Amino acid sequence: MRAVWTLLVDSYRLLRARILFWIALGISLLVGVVYLSIGFTETGVSFLFGAAEFEHDVLRQGTDEAEILYLGIFSRFIVGLWLSWVAIILALVSCASIYPDFMSEGSIELALSKPVRRLTLFFSKYLGSLLFMLLLSGSFVLLVFLALRWRIGTWNPSIFWYVPLTVLVFSYLYSVVVLVTVRTRSTLAGVLFAMLVWFMSFILDFADEMLYTFSYEGRPDEELYEDELKLKQQLQKWHRVNLVAFGVLPKTKQTMLFADRLVVVAGDRGFSERDFANLLMGGMLPEPVGDEVDRALRRNSVFYILGTSLGFEAVMLGLAALGFCRRDF
Amino acid sequence: MEPPVIELSHVRKMYRGRVEALRGISLQVPKGCVFGLLGPNGAGKSTLVKILTTIIRATECRGIMLGHPVGHKPTLKRVGYLPEHVRFPEYLTGAQVIDFSAGLAGVSPRRLKVRKGELLERVKMSEWQRRKVSTYSKGMKQRIGIAQALVNDPEVVFLDEPTDGVDPEGRRDIRNLVRELRDEGRTVFINTHLLTELEQVADRVGILSKGRLVREGTLEELTAAQRQYELRTQGPIPPGLAERLRAGGATTGGNTVTIDAQGPEPMQPVIDLLRSEEIMIRSMHEKRLSLEELFLEAVQDGPGDGEGGAR
Repeated sequence: MRAVWTLLVDSYRLLRARILFWIALGISLLVGVVYLSIGFTETGVSFLFGAAEFEHDVLRQGTDEAEILYLGIFSRFIVGLWLSWVAIILALVSCASIYPDFMSEGSIELALSKPVRRLTLFFSKYLGSLLFMLLLSGSFVLLVFLALRWRIGTWNPSIFWYVPLTVLVFSYLYSVVVLVTVRTRSTLAGVLFAMLVWFMSFILDFADEMLYTFSYEGRPDEELYEDELKLKQQLQKWHRVNLVAFGVLPKTKQTMLFADRLVVVAGDRGFSERDFANLLMGGMLPEPVGDEVDRALRRNSVFYILGTSLGFEAVMLGLAALGFCRRDF
Repeated sequence: MEPPVIELSHVRKMYRGRVEALRGISLQVPKGCVFGLLGPNGAGKSTLVKILTTIIRATECRGIMLGHPVGHKPTLKRVGYLPEHVRFPEYLTGAQVIDFSAGLAGVSPRRLKVRKGELLERVKMSEWQRRKVSTYSKGMKQRIGIAQALVNDPEVVFLDEPTDGVDPEGRRDIRNLVRELRDEGRTVFINTHLLTELEQVADRVGILSKGRLVREGTLEELTAAQRQYELRTQGPIPPGLAERLRAGGATTGGNTVTIDAQGPEPMQPVIDLLRSEEIMIRSMHEKRLSLEELFLEAVQDGPGDGEGGAR
């Protein structure tokens, strides 16, 4: 346990020495301050700490709509762009050299000559690498948590679900970096392969959503013409094929969308894309219709999304650990 | 008699590509001595130490270190190691390098607190302990490297090229430290190609060449085995006389006569012969091979078949 703790402390020190970490933290702070500058008054919405105010009948202090809009800006724009994309890319780039540096001549000997099993060294280093994303998303979500209290007047601890989810998504991709860098010791190759996996996951997820929409949603079978029914059956077949192909990849987007199930708004209402889009278009908040979750979450089970993604990560890490443990340094 | 701390028998290492780095090393290192392992680059010195410290897995190894089979991880709690070309994370300070090493070696924080101060003092790095390693000179890094190797109070210390890149004063300090470690009862295993350094501190020496141990013993034993007597005359030895001396097994050259012998007895007939020819003898002395001569001879005589040695 002392060895694991030592490696985690070392990872933290390494993190603090990385300029990218401070840049990412600085951007987080900036984004957080911009978010904090949006507020609600008794008559409407204010921006830039009250520098600009707009009157609105519904979007004002104390309404459910204001909370959903405020959380939606965080969930869809800030998490969707900053935490799910830019921060993860920065974290991947910053952490990609951790294993090659650790395994370099003159450095690895220090660790391997100690009474610590190689597997412990490998996984402690991996856990330490996740600190980047954990600290980044943790500090950012804490800022948002305080902003919600200040601007909306409610404590909403459910938004902390974004922290493990972003770390989880990062861990899927980082496992690819670890495998490639342990095998090749090339940081660039590690980042490129992770990006490739991410891109493929994105494409197959998009295909999954499209194929699902066209093959399972819309008019019931009884109302379809024969040609339409044939096409629908064909699309269903392709959806199943895509599901198998997508099954071996990590589900980055769908994992992030889990937050919609877990984050609670306005007391007990689940956050919904539909509600948020409605408010953005200037509409009213519709009546709750049961479990308000995205289509992406409805179409695939929790096991499929998390199970296969974690399975992918386990295979990547297993192969990397095998290479690390069997190698002569 | 205490059992040796390291007892190896038939250690072999074959790297990928069929490069045989070690070809059946058998070796015993007694407790409390300074053992120097010599060898040219690629002889397999570092490979042997890396096998003992579990960094490399041997292809074949029947060996015991500190009473346990080689490769037994918990035994490494009693072992210290300074790798060749040591590279510490540049974001750490000297003191943090020692903390890191102590943490991995399982040294308790309370023990570390006391030990760290002692070690930094001992390697003369107390003043620099809070500076980042990136600001250190090569010699300072070696000093910190030695300190981290000693943090767990080891019984056996492996130092791979410890004086590499160190200035003369630093070398002297390291030599003194090695002697102190031996006096404390620790066994110090030094890998080096700097013969003069080793000659001054080593009790026992092993010479590796192309993956084989070609000489092993105390310095006294190894150099005595190659003892010579050299005689100098006033003026050159006449050719006819030189011919007669060479026929008797001596080596001649100008005004010198040299004979390989364990004692001065074989030299007496040579003296008699020279005196009978009225050649004036200027001096005679016993000559032992230096470690360098021994090393060069051993390496030249060493195994020449096939490819061997690496790292």
